[in-house]
Amino acid sequence: MSVSQATARIIAPPQLSRRLRSLLASAGAVLLSLVVGGLLIVIAGGDPVDAYRALLDGALGTPYGIGQMLVLAIPLIIIGLGLALAFRGRVYNIGAEGQLFMGALASGVVAILLPAGFGPLLIGAAIVAGVLVGAGWGAIVGVLRARWGVNEVITSLLLNFVAILIFTYIVRRPLRAPGSPDLQGRAIQPEAALPALPDLAVHIGLFLALALVPLAAYVMARTPFGFRVRMQGFNAEAAQTAGVRSGRIIIGLMLISGGLAGLAGSLQILGVAERLDPGISQGYGFTAIVVALLGRLNAIGVLLAALLIALLQSGGQAMSVIEGVPYAIVIAIPGVFVVFLLIADRLARGH
Amino acid sequence: MDWSEVFGPDALVVLLSTSVAFAMPTALAAVGETVAERAGVLNLGLEGMLLSGALASFLVAYYVGSVALGTLAGVAIGVGLGALMAFLSVTLKTEQIINGIAIVLVAQGITIFAFEKLFGGGDQPTVAGIPDIDVPLLHSIPGVGPVLFEQNALFYVSVAVALGVCLLLFRTRFGLSVSAVGESPAAAEAMAVSVARTRWLALLVCGGMAGLGGAVLVLGQLNVFEEDVSGGRGWIAIALVIFGRWNPLFVLGGAFLFGFTDALQIRVQAVSGGIASTVPTEIFGALPYAVTLIVMVAATVWAGRDAQPAALGVPFRKEVSA
Amino acid sequence: MKPSVSMKSIAKRFGAVQALAGVDFDLRPGEIHALLGENGAGKTTLMNTLYGMFPPDVGTITIDGREMQFHSPQDAIAEGVGMVHQHFMLVPTLTVAENAVLGERNGPLLRKRDLATVSARLAELADRYGLDVDPRARVWQLSVGEQQRVEVLRALYKGARILILDEPTATLTPLETERLFPKLRALAAEGASIVFITHHLEDVISWADRITVLRRGERVGTLRPSESSAGELARMMVGRDVRLMQVVAGERSVAGTREARRAAPVLNVEGLQSDGDRGTPALRDVSFSVAPGEILAIAGVEGNGQPELEEVLFGLRAPHTGTVSLDGSDVTGADPAQRLRLGLGLVPSNRYRRGVIRELSVAENLALDRIGEAPFGSELRMNRREMVRQAEELIRRFSIQVSGPDQLAGTLSGGNAQRLVLARVLSRELRCLIAAQPTRGLDVGAIEFVWEQLAAARDRGLAIVLLSTDLDEVLSMADRCCVIYRGRLVAHWPREELDRERVGLAMGGASETAATPSLSVASGET
Repeated sequence: MSVSQATARIIAPPQLSRRLRSLLASAGAVLLSLVVGGLLIVIAGGDPVDAYRALLDGALGTPYGIGQMLVLAIPLIIIGLGLALAFRGRVYNIGAEGQLFMGALASGVVAILLPAGFGPLLIGAAIVAGVLVGAGWGAIVGVLRARWGVNEVITSLLLNFVAILIFTYIVRRPLRAPGSPDLQGRAIQPEAALPALPDLAVHIGLFLALALVPLAAYVMARTPFGFRVRMQGFNAEAAQTAGVRSGRIIIGLMLISGGLAGLAGSLQILGVAERLDPGISQGYGFTAIVVALLGRLNAIGVLLAALLIALLQSGGQAMSVIEGVPYAIVIAIPGVFVVFLLIADRLARGH
Repeated sequence: MDWSEVFGPDALVVLLSTSVAFAMPTALAAVGETVAERAGVLNLGLEGMLLSGALASFLVAYYVGSVALGTLAGVAIGVGLGALMAFLSVTLKTEQIINGIAIVLVAQGITIFAFEKLFGGGDQPTVAGIPDIDVPLLHSIPGVGPVLFEQNALFYVSVAVALGVCLLLFRTRFGLSVSAVGESPAAAEAMAVSVARTRWLALLVCGGMAGLGGAVLVLGQLNVFEEDVSGGRGWIAIALVIFGRWNPLFVLGGAFLFGFTDALQIRVQAVSGGIASTVPTEIFGALPYAVTLIVMVAATVWAGRDAQPAALGVPFRKEVSA
Repeated sequence: MKPSVSMKSIAKRFGAVQALAGVDFDLRPGEIHALLGENGAGKTTLMNTLYGMFPPDVGTITIDGREMQFHSPQDAIAEGVGMVHQHFMLVPTLTVAENAVLGERNGPLLRKRDLATVSARLAELADRYGLDVDPRARVWQLSVGEQQRVEVLRALYKGARILILDEPTATLTPLETERLFPKLRALAAEGASIVFITHHLEDVISWADRITVLRRGERVGTLRPSESSAGELARMMVGRDVRLMQVVAGERSVAGTREARRAAPVLNVEGLQSDGDRGTPALRDVSFSVAPGEILAIAGVEGNGQPELEEVLFGLRAPHTGTVSLDGSDVTGADPAQRLRLGLGLVPSNRYRRGVIRELSVAENLALDRIGEAPFGSELRMNRREMVRQAEELIRRFSIQVSGPDQLAGTLSGGNAQRLVLARVLSRELRCLIAAQPTRGLDVGAIEFVWEQLAAARDRGLAIVLLSTDLDEVLSMADRCCVIYRGRLVAHWPREELDRERVGLAMGGASETAATPSLSVASGET
């Protein structure tokens, strides 16, 4: 027992003192990270208390603010759920960003080119296309690992670059917005845009994201597939001896996490940008990794972690405008989270 | 498109010369990673170490005006992050893959923060480039001479360091310990080789080399710093270790291949007229990554995973049972 | 320069387990001293403190009258202590010379010249003590016996005058064992002190000058072989009358055996060829079959292809050529999941790597290979309540010592973990069971339990393939027995013709049939 021990630490079974300690570890890490964030704010010449207040205000103060926060949270939740499941099986999909872009591309293409007469079917088709293409992009990584044991971290990562470049090319050439500067893609047809909620400035993709949470929880805790994923994550050899088909699990996990990333990309295109825009993701695929880890690889945790980080990032913009503190702090903090989490986790477990 | 402008005799020399130069940052990171992985630690934080080294060296060179000090600063930061990785992976024994990713995220965040804090909104700062030095006699050798021996000081330093580390792995007791620790940590421990200490040192070396690679990238080649200046070189370096079957000499060869692809795509774009040309720039941009990917996959598929250090990625716990 | 070791009142605790409690042990120069006890008695722990792997909680270690505080093996090595571990502490990818040099502190550089010096010294030592080994060979290329010689050589190279050997004969053929001890005797004659740890009575009686028996962390006594007998030593080891031999032999229904031999074979294996992990051939043309209601024991010294055979039979490794069929259907290409479904079961040789998932609960482990199948649920939903219910019953039936079905499997002792594995495997509908080293590392009580379960399963009509390195086990359990040597099956006897000496010789490769190609061992043949 060695490598799996750390993962085991993160997804400990439901025993009360364990849950409690795990919760404390997360809380401790978050607290420490906020302290570090405060330090960075001081270095940047701002006042931490004011800055954090501006952050909370900006994120939660107005309905519009809350809406923006939720918009940020949606892809984090969706991708985070997929990654949490994949990481449980020790399939480290670092390519969610690329899968997001490929899904976004597919969705955008469908939403732009398919005849408009389809109406709500158009939205459905665009989303399905996004999911399938994202899943397919992820499957490449899965097959390479399942069949030949090629390290999925590197392959998924390298494919990120390729995916983003493909997307950029399509935006720049075939589907460039007519008469616009270089990096603006064409707009999707109005029928394909996702409607928004009445008061909050967020698209209905929110419901989809929220619905996925209990579904993911169910899959993880109650289905044989979820259990096999855990088995494989803990001890692949014993799992194999017990009849678990590791190849299927690996490819399955890449399909799911890739598909979810593609879904997230799809929602970004249809609900947020409403055109092929390379700016639809500022690293959601990577931030989702933090979300998955901070959320202890379970569904509720992912939801909470996603909301927390979305809060930070949306409030961070307000904070940077009002207090003059670089927005980059909120980019640094999630990484700091994980480091502190690892340490706090280890301390909480003793050993 | 006139291919002779790319591969004609004079052009080829220039191409190879730039290839070799471009290869060095990645090569340094890759050889450093080889040391770490041979000791059994999968260091995925390489990209962060490279990036941080780039920033640190740039800042020191910019404010202090010394390239030498800047380079040292880059190395120092790299060593520091290597120590962090060692603390997490060897001392705390948390999952190495996650540790590495965390370090990349932290490094990216803090690098962007620092850069924006210092230069945000203004013009893009640059540092003065350093001159090329023609090595007497050697640079006159036809073919090889102009390619290898008309580079700048940082290049020569890089080559020396890279070859020095190869020697370290093959001809020193430390190198032997590294191989032992990565292959059979229990056996090493029983022979009084401290697994923890060896892995710590290996990671410090790895971090230092990655930091140096960042310094070389920024001070020896680009002369600017920007967000994501490392461009994935750290990840490519990790792929190259697999491609090189954990043999630092093959890894260097792979780094050259990457450098060549990089230089090639830039040259082709320059010759063909850039953005307005018929061949999409993105295809070229994707080329180094795609090539690295294919090459790594091919190496794994055909050569299998036998060369991989047996204990790679597995935290070592001293057996304390009856 | 006469070494003498004196260990007094050594105690060591690991968590909740008191591995050693107030043990005294001394070693005289020039003697071969056996440390005897069953698995878990504390023998290795005691010697590990002498070798500096960890300090004792209580007690003193004195060498040559000087008290020692070892903080690491390095300290012990410096004082002339050398240890040959049961699982060799060699780095397979390095050469013999490199392994010897590992950990030395003679300056940072390691030039070709240095290695040459080392090789020369190793060759000299090898010559002197008859330990035939090429210093330039890479360890993975060497046979098990050769690797052991490397370990001894390395200890001698480092100047060991106190040599500890942990279960030295576990991986040797009887012939190699015969060759090893005279060399140890030669070393002792020069004044070295030798300790060998074992649980094999025969070795102890034949070769030791003195014997110290440990039981459950305590010293039971120290005596000379002439002062005792095998029976008494066994009693000292175990603490009660041992019925090891009688368990299965007398309690079998003879009629069942005869019938079984006439039935059609359940498992049929033809011409298996396979490589091991390093690309060297591990199985050469293995063929055999097993009928329902019989135990086919495949005896062999460790390292002759048993793990590969176990893996090929269960679908964990693909053979180059050859076929495996179960009840007539070809399963050669089938993965473990399919084989499980067709009624093939495995008790794996490495129970912590392949048998049990430590991070999961006992209940989950008991249902490990039937997740998603009735009655534990369907593909859409697991029925945990049923898992727990069945687990409770299995815990009772198989006497697994746990506080409850939710206890984590990682906290189980070896014996209990094996009970768990057996419980899981035997609660399936099986046609054929592969039991690989099922009693390795278990205490006597657990061993008896395993044997009883296997015998009972056999009586119920199960076909069993028993892979074992333990002669006692083979002699007790086998209805038919064959021997695997260097990847081939080289001998075959029915129960009536089983003889300790014969089997032992065959295991060492020295049998009448050793020169012939692999036998095809089908049931019904005698």
